[in-house]
Order: sequence, then C-alpha cells, then structure tokens
Amino acid sequence: MSNQDLELYHQMTGGNKQALEAIYDKYERLLYSFVIKLSGDQTLAEEVMQEVFIKLWTNKATYDETKGKFSSWIVTITRYTAIDIIRKNKNQAIALEEETDLPEQVGDSTEDLVEWKEQGEKVRRAVKELSEEQKQMVDLFYFKGLSQREISETCNLPLGTIKGRLRLALKHLKSHLSKGKGGVHDA
Amino acid sequence: MMRNECEKVIDYYNNQLTESEQNEFENHLESCDECREELAELRALTEDLAFASEPVNPPEGMKDRVLGAVFAEESNDTSEEESDHSDDHHDSSVVAFEPKKDKDVSEPEQSSQKNKKPWLLRGLAAALILSIAGNLYAVMNEQESATQEPVEQPEPDKEPTISTDEITTKVQLQGETDAQATASLIQQEDGNLLTLQAEALEQLEGEEVYQVWLMEGKKPYRAGTFVANEDGEGAVAYAMEQLPEGTNWDAVAISREPDATSQTPQGKVILQAEL
Repeated sequence: MSNQDLELYHQMTGGNKQALEAIYDKYERLLYSFVIKLSGDQTLAEEVMQEVFIKLWTNKATYDETKGKFSSWIVTITRYTAIDIIRKNKNQAIALEEETDLPEQVGDSTEDLVEWKEQGEKVRRAVKELSEEQKQMVDLFYFKGLSQREISETCNLPLGTIKGRLRLALKHLKSHLSKGKGGVHDA
Repeated sequence: MMRNECEKVIDYYNNQLTESEQNEFENHLESCDECREELAELRALTEDLAFASEPVNPPEGMKDRVLGAVFAEESNDTSEEESDHSDDHHDSSVVAFEPKKDKDVSEPEQSSQKNKKPWLLRGLAAALILSIAGNLYAVMNEQESATQEPVEQPEPDKEPTISTDEITTKVQLQGETDAQATASLIQQEDGNLLTLQAEALEQLEGEEVYQVWLMEGKKPYRAGTFVANEDGEGAVAYAMEQLPEGTNWDAVAISREPDATSQTPQGKVILQAEL
C-alpha cells in the first residue's frame, strides 16, 4: 500500500500533476473528515486542504519514507496545518466553542481507505473505553491542539499533572486498540 | 526558566511555543533522551487517532478548487527556506522528517487560463456580434440608399479578407440612464471597424432605433444603427471605410432616433464618450 504512495510521492516531487491528483483522490475524504473533526467548520476545512496540498506540491513539507508511513505523515501535516489555521481564526475573535456549519453526516458515507475502514471502528471503540476525563484530555490535546495550560484550565486539573495524565490516557487507548478486534472489557 | 524544559513536550508537540522557546527546546531535545522518547511516544500513541474521524462527504467541486489553487501556486518558490516558517519547521522536527530538499519541480508551462486578458474575450464576443451585425448592416445599407443621401456609398460585395485585428481605442460610454456601452475601434488590414455593445437599454417604440454617431468636432457621422433586444442589449459593427478617411474622431455617441433615417441626431443622445 505505502509503496504505491511512495511512488506517487516521488512522481509528484518530480512535478507530475497526475501524481498529486492521485494522492489527493486517495486522501481527500480521510483528510477532509479529519479536519472537520478538528475544526467543525466546512469553510475552514477546505482552506486547510488547500494549504496541505500546497505544502506538498511546493515541497515545503517533505516526506521521508524511513521515518514512517506516508499516511501518518500526511495526517500529521494536515493536523498541524489545521491547528495553525484554527488558531489564527480564533485570534480573529471567533469563539472557541463556535462550531459553524458542521456538515451533515451523510448516510452513505463510508471510509474509502482500507486503513481507515479497518482502524476507524476500532479506534472509536477504544476511545469509548476511556473515562470521560481521559476522553476529554485526548480530545483537547490531539483534536483541539490546545496548550498544556489550556488543557489544565479546561479540565480543572493542576498544570503539573497534565502530561502524566495525558500519557496515561493515550496508553490506555493504545492498549485497547492493540487488544482490539472483539469487545474489550478490562481497563 | 519558569518551567523545566521537560515540561514543554506537550506544547512543543502542539506547536504552542514561541520561536525562541522552540529553539531552546530543540537544543534541550538533543541532550534529553527522555523528552525524545516522550515525543516519539506521543507520535506513536496518536498515530491512528485520525481514523476515528467519521466519514464526511467533501463539498461539491472542492477538488477542482483545491487543485486549481495548488497548481496556480506552482513550485517556483523553492527559495523560501523551510526554517523561515516556524510551523513547517515544527512539522519536520516533531515528526522527525528531513528538512526540505531544495528541488525545483516547476513545470515549464504556467496554467494561464486565469491570465487570459479580458479584452481577448471581448474581442471574441465582438467577432460573434460582427457576424450578426453583418446581416443588420446589409439591411441598413438598403435603407441608406433608399434615402438618397449617400454620404459615402460603401463598396458593395467586398471580398472578405483574413486579417489580424487589433483594438486601437476602447471607451466606455456614459449617460444619464442605466444604459451602458463599450465602443472599440478595431484596426483591420483593410480599414477600421467600429464595434459597440450596449446593455440596459430602454425598449424602443414603433420605428425607433438607436443610432451610433462618430463625431468630428461637432459634426456627426452615422456609424451604425441598432435596436435593443428584449433584454435591452444591442450592438453594431460598423466598417469605417464608409466614413471620410483620415478623420480625427473626437467622440462616439448613441442617440435614440424616431427612425433609421436620421442624418443628424434628432432625438436625445443617451450615451457618449470621448475618443
């Protein structure tokens, strides 16, 4: 799977527009859905998509296959781009909680990537296994990209405990995930 | 100072540090195995989280818009150093990918659709109108000869020639009504052509027409006659060889005339512009 990504990526860095388009086609839905989850805003999500693919196309972000999967990389780039743009928007006096024009989740929506299809349900199930506080921490940290202080204030927890609690939450999540396939019961 | 560097892992990961804090932390990273491990761990522990996203259908046409913007960007901006850009820098350090390679990937051709000059398109429109106006013109000529006042009789049945046209003058006509018009003088190999397009014209009544005039000082010359369609649009294409050669035209005007025979403006001038 990632061999194909890698090949496309190399073609793209050589200036092949079709290769970029193929990468776009492959990841459009995952990345868009991801940014919607991060931002809750359609207009912003499209802006992020554009920014991400500009970074790819202009080689401002460069993938190195020795460091991990292409899909992880492009997700990471997307996350940073989204957090960055969300933060800029927030500075322009947009309320933190404001979730504008959240698109309807259409009934026939499906994960179009094998990886997503395989992992999606598992990850969602693993998240459900977390305590409310842990869920919130993961959300604020990963999906909202907040600072340690913001997380501590939002959760009403001492600043010094955030890192430890977060790591614990993430480890739980991972262990639920790796146990994975069927129902998971112990915590 | 306030905080131990090791307490900045989360903020570093979420790109929440100022540039100087970030540099400091990166220096610290080189000597602190623990922080490096924590960062790697955060990365590993979160790597599947994006898959938790519920699938959402992208809006219609997003692909075209996004890729359109991307390819318009082209990649000739490789001069921009990655380190100038704090978040990109961050992307690469957190994920520990290599910094940007200096590679020029630009394609020679620039997508130029957007750059097409508007007048080119207008020229095209004018050419289209020309073929319509040609017919009108034939009708007008019959009328003109019927009035027995041959100002300058046009040569009949001139052979069409292939020529490269060029706009020499283009003006917007102004008036008191909402009506607007654009007139262009087009230089062709075998003479000049006046084209004019008007819109938001008032509807005519009975035999009324709109008459285009070219003015030499105060002297008007007929330069095409037209009527408004249902949408209030009208146009003419007028071969200027019918007019005295070498005249320095001062203005172009449109008047509303009782019929198509006026040799000087009888009705009100609704639009005009200096040339």
